[in-house]
Amino acid sequence: MLLHYGSWQKGIDMKLQESTTEAVAATREQRAKAAGRRYRRQQSAFDILIIFLIVQVISVIYGLINPSTFAYNSFANIQNALGAIPVVTGIPALGVGILMIAGEFDLSVGANFIFSSILMAQLNTNGLSVWLAALIGMAVGTGIGLLNGVITLRLGIPSFITTLGTMLIWQAGTLFVHGASSQPFSPSPVVAVLFTENLGVFPADFLWFVVLAIAFWALLQRNRIGNHIFAAGGNKQAATATGVRVDRTKLIAFSLAGACAALGGILSASQIGNIAPSTGDVLPLQAIAACVIGGLALTGGRGTILGIVLGSALIYWISDVLLLIGAPGFYITAPVGILIIAAAAIYEILRARRA
Amino acid sequence: MSMDGMETVSAEQPVQSGEAATPLLELRNVNKHYGLNHVLNNVSFHVGRAEILALLGDNGAGKSTMVKTISGVVQPDSGALLWDGKPVEFNSHADAAELGIETIYQDSALVDSMTIARNIFMGRELAGPLGFIRLKEMREIASHVLRTIVAIEGIDSPDKLVGSLSGGQKQAVAIARAVHFKRTLLMLDEPTSALAVRATEALFEYLRSLRTQGLSSVLVTHNLYDAYRICDRFVVMGRGQVVFQATQKETSVEELTEHVSRG
Repeated sequence: MLLHYGSWQKGIDMKLQESTTEAVAATREQRAKAAGRRYRRQQSAFDILIIFLIVQVISVIYGLINPSTFAYNSFANIQNALGAIPVVTGIPALGVGILMIAGEFDLSVGANFIFSSILMAQLNTNGLSVWLAALIGMAVGTGIGLLNGVITLRLGIPSFITTLGTMLIWQAGTLFVHGASSQPFSPSPVVAVLFTENLGVFPADFLWFVVLAIAFWALLQRNRIGNHIFAAGGNKQAATATGVRVDRTKLIAFSLAGACAALGGILSASQIGNIAPSTGDVLPLQAIAACVIGGLALTGGRGTILGIVLGSALIYWISDVLLLIGAPGFYITAPVGILIIAAAAIYEILRARRA
Repeated sequence: MSMDGMETVSAEQPVQSGEAATPLLELRNVNKHYGLNHVLNNVSFHVGRAEILALLGDNGAGKSTMVKTISGVVQPDSGALLWDGKPVEFNSHADAAELGIETIYQDSALVDSMTIARNIFMGRELAGPLGFIRLKEMREIASHVLRTIVAIEGIDSPDKLVGSLSGGQKQAVAIARAVHFKRTLLMLDEPTSALAVRATEALFEYLRSLRTQGLSSVLVTHNLYDAYRICDRFVVMGRGQVVFQATQKETSVEELTEHVSRG
């Protein structure tokens, strides 16, 4: 009886042991999965998404309480915001951001934005089909970006300096081909549908922005080129040592920055019907600011598309709110400045804590 | 009849042994100057098949330049490199990598701001049409390689950023990368400097198993005891020259120490 009990007990023990090893393996698997989720969330723009949602909720509630003094929820304000974010900052910032992740800068995006779109408008005014004109504008913008890359890599100088130089050159280029006055642009009706029509509350350029952002996300996170862009910006020596063609990768990023600047300029010209050369001046710094707020590192190798999009939206949000509450327009840049510094500081703290 | 057979065998044998004697990699009178500094001075040695070779020497002996020459990062001023008995010229790291030479550096070539999985496949991503990567597969392989080959504590997910790993963990990732892309010649430049004892043992065990599979390794190290324990043959460098060569059976740790310190 005792013996019988003993063997029975042994069987139970063995079963217990088996299930414990299984349980250990299962919990290890679960822990690894949970850790993976945590790391992926840290690497996404999760923090800034939360901040963005909080300020939106506060703004919407405040707008509901005071609809007459704070017209945040009005159809016009929402449509204005969705129309302005892509062309004022968003689309050029996507290109600038990808280039920043690759470890380089482009200060010439503003000059490129103006030069490419004015060239397009002029060609169109002189009788060229708007499609061909837009295509040439895009090609010129992409070429300007590529040239920045070639100069930077061939001469081995910082892209900050290269593009500071080309910014001044293309500003002069605009004066040369056009002058300082603004250039009107009225696209033909078919084009107007694609570039300026609204789909409900969504302006056409916002939809372009969304499509472009998704395409760039796929390129950056799900394509070999994206992996190489992160590698080139994160550690050039390591990337070279493992066979990544760093220069070629950077040239792609430079070209994308140029292409985005031109696309932003063309969409803006179609939307506003007019190109004022001076509007390009603040664009490069605003695009870089959007990227910094969106969590991109100035040293390269870090960043997300969602961060760039939300960074662009937050910059617009600040000026929008200040204008709605009737703050003097003169001071509007100051809060943006504070936001940039605060964002950079917060990211640094988070990074230090996670390392 | 039987004589014929004997003759055939004896006629073939020299050819066979000749093939076996062709080293995997041979360096002949390799020279490299950095300005007036003669960092490699008529260096000649070879790496055999299925052997673990130790490249020893004090600081400044020219070991690192030697490693860089073999991995194609540095081009020699004169001399020849023979791979499989055929002269080769490495104009870039890619040329060496194409032949199957993989290098694990002291400062392991990793990108801190990328995940472990993405680092392991950096430059060699598993990609489908149009370059779209198979991220899930890459993550699973990375996780498997880290668990099975370089058993090291504290790496819980291939999605972790390399920047948040310790020095030893980073080395483990670099080794996992080299191991996954099975190469013909593995060069390890001070691989154990940041490794814990257990991880070092695991690495040596792995090098031995690579040797049984016919792969060769070159181990650059300061630790002569480690080298003596695992390596088949030793090349000692001093002031840019090869000062001593011996197999494991011919020498002792004491003798190696003497040659290294004398330079």
